[in-house]
This record gives sequence, structure tokens and C-alpha cells, in this order.
Amino acid sequence: MTGAFYLAALVAAVSTGLVITSLNAVHALLYLIVSFLAVAVVFFIFGAPFIAMLEIIIYAGAIMVLFVFVVMMLNLGHRAIEQEAGWLTPRMWIGPSILSATLVGELLYLFGSGILNQAGGITAQTPKQVSIVLLGPYLIGVELASMLLLPGLVGAYHLGRHLKSEDA
Amino acid sequence: MAPEDFIALLPLLVTALSSLGVLLLAAFHRDHRFVAVVTSLGLTVACFTLPVAAGVAPRQVTPLLRIDTYALFYAGLILAASLAVTILSYGYLEKQEGQREEFYALLLFATLGAMTLAAASHFAAFFLGLELLSVSLYVLIAYVRTDSRPLEAGIKYLILSGTSSAFLLFGMALIYFQSGTMEFVRTAALAGTAAFPSTVLVGLMLILTGVGFKLALVPFHMWAPDVYQGAPAPVTAFVATVSKGAMVALLLRYFVEIAAFRSEMLWWAMAGIAVLSMFAGNLLALLQDNIKRLLAYSSIAHLGYLLVAFLAAGPLAAEAVTFYLTAYFVTTLGAFGVVSVLSKPGSEAEALDDYRSLFWKQPWLAGVFTIMLLSLAGIPLTAGFIGKFYVIAAGVESSLWVLIVLLVGNSVIGLFYYLRVIVVMAADGRRRVRPADTAQAPQVSYADGLVLAALSGFLFWLGLYPAPLIRLIQTIQRGMIGS
Repeated sequence: MTGAFYLAALVAAVSTGLVITSLNAVHALLYLIVSFLAVAVVFFIFGAPFIAMLEIIIYAGAIMVLFVFVVMMLNLGHRAIEQEAGWLTPRMWIGPSILSATLVGELLYLFGSGILNQAGGITAQTPKQVSIVLLGPYLIGVELASMLLLPGLVGAYHLGRHLKSEDA
Repeated sequence: MAPEDFIALLPLLVTALSSLGVLLLAAFHRDHRFVAVVTSLGLTVACFTLPVAAGVAPRQVTPLLRIDTYALFYAGLILAASLAVTILSYGYLEKQEGQREEFYALLLFATLGAMTLAAASHFAAFFLGLELLSVSLYVLIAYVRTDSRPLEAGIKYLILSGTSSAFLLFGMALIYFQSGTMEFVRTAALAGTAAFPSTVLVGLMLILTGVGFKLALVPFHMWAPDVYQGAPAPVTAFVATVSKGAMVALLLRYFVEIAAFRSEMLWWAMAGIAVLSMFAGNLLALLQDNIKRLLAYSSIAHLGYLLVAFLAAGPLAAEAVTFYLTAYFVTTLGAFGVVSVLSKPGSEAEALDDYRSLFWKQPWLAGVFTIMLLSLAGIPLTAGFIGKFYVIAAGVESSLWVLIVLLVGNSVIGLFYYLRVIVVMAADGRRRVRPADTAQAPQVSYADGLVLAALSGFLFWLGLYPAPLIRLIQTIQRGMIGS
């Protein structure tokens, strides 16, 4: 179990390091997705499958795909296709693939060996348990988090608006 | 949650509802004056719910928030400061182009975050309150988009604040790792009575880093001058008062509850930060020709003075911190209020030259600015003097002689640059000021004038007759420690 944690944590650290050092935004984002997947595996190992799932759906899924789209759309123009083809050379996706394959291999090993179901191991928390805690003692935390999204939204609207349209 | 819980939370609920109301208003009917009035009303109503909430205090509302008289006092301070900032912002934003209504919603969100910090008794509330405050501030700082400097300041604050949050979170994680709980009180119980385990100590140091950034203490102060200079003047006032005050409230509560100063290392680290902040703040302020930067460095130094009281840790210490902070709130709001009132569209009154012979152009504004600066310098009859006196008394009681001597020495350095501004304002005499200059000077609206007059009134009241406030602070402090 400890070995599995260190392997996933290592993948997370390496991919995050590559996010910072990548010069191309799209390549950096690919590594960032791998980093989120690795963190999800860590959550899963320590009995939080629900959070692991959310990490993949929300971070690696929705937010990152949005990021990739935005970054790609910013480079509109006749040279864009050529440029995008240049981004996806085999050299670029081999790195993230190896890291992701490590995670997949690790998960397969964990399922296959049955370590996760051992008696006395970590018991997984179900979504029901998570919800009861969130809407019980942490109710105010949930409300505050929802308030936290509003200034983010208002701010993105205010700072992202085209200045010219203000004349109207 | 019981009905009493909702009563205890009333000030926060009213603020949250006003922010949503302002957002809806902005969506359906954009009217700057109306939105500003609604915001002020919301904050005033929230102030009036404080005594109602005090009726059920002290009360632990879920593990996250602890509503006691201490939290309510700081909430009142924060609400009053936000009210002053709202009124000053109205005058300021009237001169600016673009949409203005979102500003007030963001201001209310930030106020809510600050009040959460003041009442937090759990790491989750600590972090959520801090982020609510910070995220609103990123946008408030960069609010005037037609200029590049606010945007630069906003980006700087965003990046450095994000980094400091990472330190804070790692510190919290380490403490949670050792104690298995995120509640302040239970952290203390589980960490043992004798000394902190090294994990907890490292965690506390990392938390201190995050807090030090918010308070702009040396060596985490790099953002302060640029952000103070770039942000709109009312927002600068907000950053300097509400954002720092809420953090001090939290730090005081947390350190008292876990008895943090049983670790000598932590004490020495904070003493080092206090000394560095006093010296760096005052010495760098000497070199400034820009009023907003000068006030930024001066506020770094003031937080250093505050830490001296914090370190005294005697019975007087908590009182001194709260009193000093109240005086600092009044004074800083007044000083930035004058800067805000003097600002013209597109250019803020920040160069020292903008204040040349202000006494002959706008005697009242110059008078208000002078007493605010004198209070910052700690001249008798002002709130700043009583505050500094209190801090020194707390230090003497705990025999912190070295720190006291350094504090007094720094006050002398401080006096120099505050007086320099006053000398510039009095320069040239009446004859050299052309009537055209006086005619061009911005008019002070009734609302702004009222805020500045009220702040000056508070300043003299605290300076001449501080007894009522001191009694109030003593009662709330007993409430916090006795609980």
C-alpha cells in the first residue's frame, strides 16, 4: 500500500514539475491532466473513491478540457492547423502516456492483488457518508464555498469583458 | 442547526444576502447611486444585528465558526470599515468610466470573508474565509481596467497570494497530520501540553508565512507598495484595514487557543519578523515620494508595532492588540480617504507634489490628513498615541525591553516622514497659490465629508477619552479567554 502511494505521488510530482518547465501551454496542460489523475489515484488508495472520481470528472475532465480548448482557440489563423500538428508530434505525447500508463498499471495491480479488500485495511468512504458530513457539520463550509464561486464569476466577467462594448 | 445558530450568524447572513441583492440589482437595473445606497444599508443593518447576535453569544455554530463577543467586536470593526470604504468608493467611482455596480458586490463578498476569518475556529472556515476575501480582492484591486497599473497590481497580488495560500495549506496539512483534527481547540489538546512535536512546529511556521503575507510583514511584504500604489484608493484602504484586521483577529484567537508561545522558537521567529517589519517599513518609507507607497511602508511598520504587543502575551497583550488595531483602522481609513477624495479621473493624488500647499487650497482636507498623519506618528491627543502607549505598556509588563527600545526608536524615524508630508502641505504660503488652483481642486461631497469628519471625531474621541472602548475590549477579551 505504501509503495503504491509513493509511486502515484512520484508520478504526480514528476508531471507537475514538467507542467512548470514545459514551454508550450498545450504540453503543460497535458502533464497537468496526468498530475490530476495521479492525485486521484492517491485519493483512491486511501479510501476516498468519491473524491477521486470528482477529481477526474471535474479537474482532469471539465476544467482541463476547457483550458485546452481555450488555449487552442486563441491561436486562430491560417497557420493554426500547421502549428497544432506540430504540437502533437509523437515526442510530445509519449511523456504523458508513459506516466498515465504507470498509473493504469498500478491500479490494475491493486485490483488484481486484492490488497484493497484486505481485512483491517482502509475502509472506503461512500458518497453517502461524504454527503452526510458535508451537509451536517460542514454546512457552513459548503455555503461559504458556494459564495466563493460568486466573486470568481463576477471577477471573470468584469475583467474579461470587452472594453469597447461599454460605450453602448 | 438550531434557531439560535441563525441568530448568532445574523451579521454574516445579512452581509451575504446584501451581496446577492446587489448582484441581482446590477443584473436588472444598473444605477450606481442606488446600488451604493443598498450596499450601505446592508452593512448598516448588519451592524445593527450585532447586539442581537451578542444576545446568544458565545455560541459554537457547527465546528466551523465560533460566534463570541470577540468575533462580534471584530465583525463590527470590519463592517464599519467596509461602510466607510463603500461611501468613499461611491465618490471615487463616480469619477471613473465603466460599469461600477459589481464593485459593491465584490466589496460585500470580501467583507463576508473577513467576518468569517474573525469568527473561524476551524481550518476549513479559516481557509474558505481567506479565499473569499482574497478572490474578491484580486478583482477589486484590478477594478479600474482603463489603467494598466491596477491590472499589474492585481496580477501581483494574485500570484503572491496564491503562493502564500499554498504555504498555509501545507502548514494546515502538517498540523492535521499530527493531530487528526482541524478544530483550533482540539489541535491544542492533542498536541500535548509540554512542547509541540516538530511536525506541528513546522506547520505553525508555514501558517505564519501565509498569515505574514496577508499582513505584509517583512520578509513577506514585497507586494505591499506596488499593490497599495496600483489599487484604487478606497480599495487600498480596504486592503490596509479590513484584510489585515481580520487576519490579526484570527491569529490572536488561534495563538491564544493553542497557547502557541510555549514554543520559544515560534516566539523568536515572530520577534524577528516584528523587528524587521519595524525597521524595513520605517527606513524604506523615508525614501518615498509617493504618498500611497509611503503609507504602504508605514502600515508595514505599524503591523510590526502590533506584533510587539502580540509577543508580550500577558493579560494586557490581547487588549493592546485590539485597541491598537481599532486606532489603526480609524487612522488608515482617514488617510486613504483623503487620498481618495483628492483623486481626479484617471489620476490619483499620490505624488507628494499633489499635496503641495494643500493647506491653502483645501484647508479642511489638509487638516484631516494632518491629524491622521499625526495619529500614525503617535502624537498625544490622537488615537495613535493611546494605541502606542498601550502597546508599550503591554511590552513593559512582560519586560520586553529590547523590543520596546526598538519600537520607540522606530517611532522617531516614523515621525520624520510623517512630518515631511505635513511640511509639504503647508509650503509656499497663501500668496503663491493662484485662485485657478483652488478652483480646480476637487469638490468634497457631503457623504465623503461626513465619513472624514466621523473618522476625525473617532480619532480624537479615542485619543482623549478611550475609557469606554477599553472597557468594552476588556469584557470581550475575558469572554474569549474564559471560554
